[in-house]
Amino acid sequence: MNHLSSETFRENANAALADAQLRGALKSATSLFGDRRRSAAASLPNWEDLRSQARAIKDEVLSHLDKYLEDFVRAAESRGAKIHWARDAAEANTIICRLAAEHKARIIVKSKSMTTEETHLNTALEAAGMQVVETDLGEYIIQLADEPPSHIIAPAIHKTRGQVSELFTSELGAPPTDDIAQLTGTARATLRDRFAAADIGISGVNFAIAETGTIVIIENEGNIRLTTSLPRVHIAVMGIEKVIPRFADLEVFLKLLPRSATGQKLSTYQSFITGTKRQATDEGPEELHIVLLDNGRSRMLAHPVTRQSLACIRCGACLNVCPVYQQVGGHAYGSVYPGPIGAVITPQLMGIEKTSQLPYASSLCGACREVCPVKIDIPRLLLHLRGEISERKGSAGERLVFKLWARVMMSPALYKMSAVTGRLLQRVVPVSKAWTSGRDLRPIESRSFHELWSDE
Amino acid sequence: MNNEARQEILSSIATHLAASAPFDARETPVDHPVTLPAQPRASNLVDLFKQNLEAVDGHCIIAHGKAEIANALTQIISALQKTKLRAQRIAISDAPEVERLMHMTDLEIEELGIAPNSSEIFNFDVGITTAQAAIAETGTLVLDSARERHRLVSLVPPVHIAIVDASTIYETLGETLAMLQNGKELSPAVTIITGPSRTGDIELILTIGVHGPQELYVIINQ
Amino acid sequence: MKVSLFVTCLVDQLWTGIGVSSVEVLRRVGCEVEFDQRQTCCAQPAYNTGYLKEARQVAQRFISIFEESNADAIVSPSGSCTAMVHHYPQLFASDDEWLPRARAVAAKTHELSSFLIRVLKIEDVGASWKGRLTWHDACHGLRDLNIKSEPRTLIRNVKGAEFVELEHADACCGFGGTFSVKYPEISVAILDQKIDAIERAGVDAVVSGDASCLMQIGGRLSRKGSKVRTMHLAELLSHRQ
Repeated sequence: MNHLSSETFRENANAALADAQLRGALKSATSLFGDRRRSAAASLPNWEDLRSQARAIKDEVLSHLDKYLEDFVRAAESRGAKIHWARDAAEANTIICRLAAEHKARIIVKSKSMTTEETHLNTALEAAGMQVVETDLGEYIIQLADEPPSHIIAPAIHKTRGQVSELFTSELGAPPTDDIAQLTGTARATLRDRFAAADIGISGVNFAIAETGTIVIIENEGNIRLTTSLPRVHIAVMGIEKVIPRFADLEVFLKLLPRSATGQKLSTYQSFITGTKRQATDEGPEELHIVLLDNGRSRMLAHPVTRQSLACIRCGACLNVCPVYQQVGGHAYGSVYPGPIGAVITPQLMGIEKTSQLPYASSLCGACREVCPVKIDIPRLLLHLRGEISERKGSAGERLVFKLWARVMMSPALYKMSAVTGRLLQRVVPVSKAWTSGRDLRPIESRSFHELWSDE
Repeated sequence: MNNEARQEILSSIATHLAASAPFDARETPVDHPVTLPAQPRASNLVDLFKQNLEAVDGHCIIAHGKAEIANALTQIISALQKTKLRAQRIAISDAPEVERLMHMTDLEIEELGIAPNSSEIFNFDVGITTAQAAIAETGTLVLDSARERHRLVSLVPPVHIAIVDASTIYETLGETLAMLQNGKELSPAVTIITGPSRTGDIELILTIGVHGPQELYVIINQ
Repeated sequence: MKVSLFVTCLVDQLWTGIGVSSVEVLRRVGCEVEFDQRQTCCAQPAYNTGYLKEARQVAQRFISIFEESNADAIVSPSGSCTAMVHHYPQLFASDDEWLPRARAVAAKTHELSSFLIRVLKIEDVGASWKGRLTWHDACHGLRDLNIKSEPRTLIRNVKGAEFVELEHADACCGFGGTFSVKYPEISVAILDQKIDAIERAGVDAVVSGDASCLMQIGGRLSRKGSKVRTMHLAELLSHRQ
């Protein structure tokens, strides 16, 4: 798969800006999602209280994450689930490939899981000779197209129906159509027998409940229910931050997540899965394996500002209101997590070496902070990361500029002199092309306000 | 369970939380209410349920007693038989009342399957189950797999008909969660269902009927 | 009421009219205005680009200067600079010496429209301006300082001005400080959404509370040959026919 890299974010973004079809798709998708979220939030008079409560619950869990994880594990194991701990992506993939091999799996059905995209699980399984089929419609589309997701909630949002039709024609031999219901029907029919034949179903987890050992998975299509009830083995993959303390806490999150993501009161299906079936003759899988993934999450606990990143419930609301995401879409970020939340967790999960552009690709407008259901202060996080990056990876030139700038700003005499110098320089030095390529620039005033005031 | 990985992860968590402590002291915690204020109570839960189910493209029929339920089933299925959904092969859950109700109808059908297994279930046109409870504020059905064998019957056939008792309709999700937990062990699989399956994955345009049923009928026994 | 003016480095160097108008408006409503010539910058550029050490140095200078004032309030014609001063407590969160000083100065610092409405309780400053105009909500003023109704109230009382609400008035203009030159293409793409909305509104002028936004918006309007002018709220409020 040719993923774009975070390292080339600027180039990726500029390419996206030149793609009129993509920009059209982004404009309608983000404004639709945004409008729906806004109405759904407005319909709940205690929306702000819910946000605060959700954040308080997340803060409680995260500041005692080890305890709550162990509670979850104990409860889940007592109900027959097998727990696997994975320190990083490679370990998670190894565990899952081993389970698949042990069960002599040939066909694996998957439902949407950002965590498995993060670890590139499909690549590992395919390398091990398994056939992996994504069953969420958007994920199925991008799997056929061999592309990464471009949005947390709607992975194929960058594709028009025409592009989907072309894809289905070339990959599945389906007749061309611009009827979306027909396209959906094609995917449904094709995937039906995959579900029936699958040996293993792999899903993500939206919430893991420490009190009861329950995993909660949310969807609209029904593919998660099929994935987690037909095959003999169910493997659920979750980041360690997905834990919430009590079953009753679900109420707050189920009120916030569907409304924030798609504007729905509730998604069509919520599956509450607690361990394995009681009798062999009952419906459902024989085995439940839960893979707990760290992959850099535990490091984020080290500071309150970064710890809040782990509160994210993956609703995608921040993407839809972000002026940058609205213009460039998800692929430009070069990460499975795009948009505002992506700009802050990608550098933390993957390290700043290749991702250092991302925290700077923001105008700090704060729209994301306003809509986040768990009140993550993304702008503050961006600034925190910018501080870290300038410290550890900053350009010497820029560092020097700001050192000089500080000198000037701390001395009224130097400040005055810089103003005079600036006025002279602007006549001979071409002003920053970065500004003037698209905008006119105001000339420096011939007399500063300081000088005018002295005149008075 | 792989103990080495477990130790390392737990230890990493503990170490990093400890490192955070001096900074935590300087943070102002997010202000939050201890409990959410009580919301006003709805007067008619059946009406509220119907309204919310219909808002998500479900169909709601109110019946009083077995004869009316059987009648409703007859009407739904005979209407469907005239469409390409066929409704000739009917799968039902193992709830005895569902089989009894089917026998009360005089529907002409090709096949009646009781809780068909995973390889047979794909051959059926309609699935009929009961629901253990319902949630009025969202038009949601609650299916508890420990109480009835309906996990596949409610999912695989393109039409799902659910019969629910009005007395088991709760107003809120919160009350329903409390009921599910109520001092007992949670069932291995509880599914809550709000309307037929849907997607907006292509251009955000809503399509009803993806992998789960495309039609959902709820018959409320009042 | 005695006010110490924090004019901001941007206004000082690039748009003195905003400073002049601010003084005029404040005097007109009965304030005595002092201007400490030692002032330079609030440190936002360094803070936003991740140079915290330099940001703290310049912030300390700001605090040292303004805490000496016996004015009742520090007033600034910039939402983003005022918001920056309000962030000083966070900047000095682990500094026992500077934290209380930062808090004290932040508590006294107000953005102009917020000062007029919330502190002075004045909604009509006796301004008049003929024409059709609209308002752009600058992000920091809106989201950090909750300034939304105040400018609109003040504008509605300007005699002769026909106010129309801009579509997506609260959408970012794309400036974002160094973002505007680090990612100029994205900055202009975001800006063009704002420009389109302004053009659809059919106004003579777009008003805002931040010189940075006005430079961003004005720079594009003039590049496109538009007749729409940009005006700072202070300039509008000081206007009299």
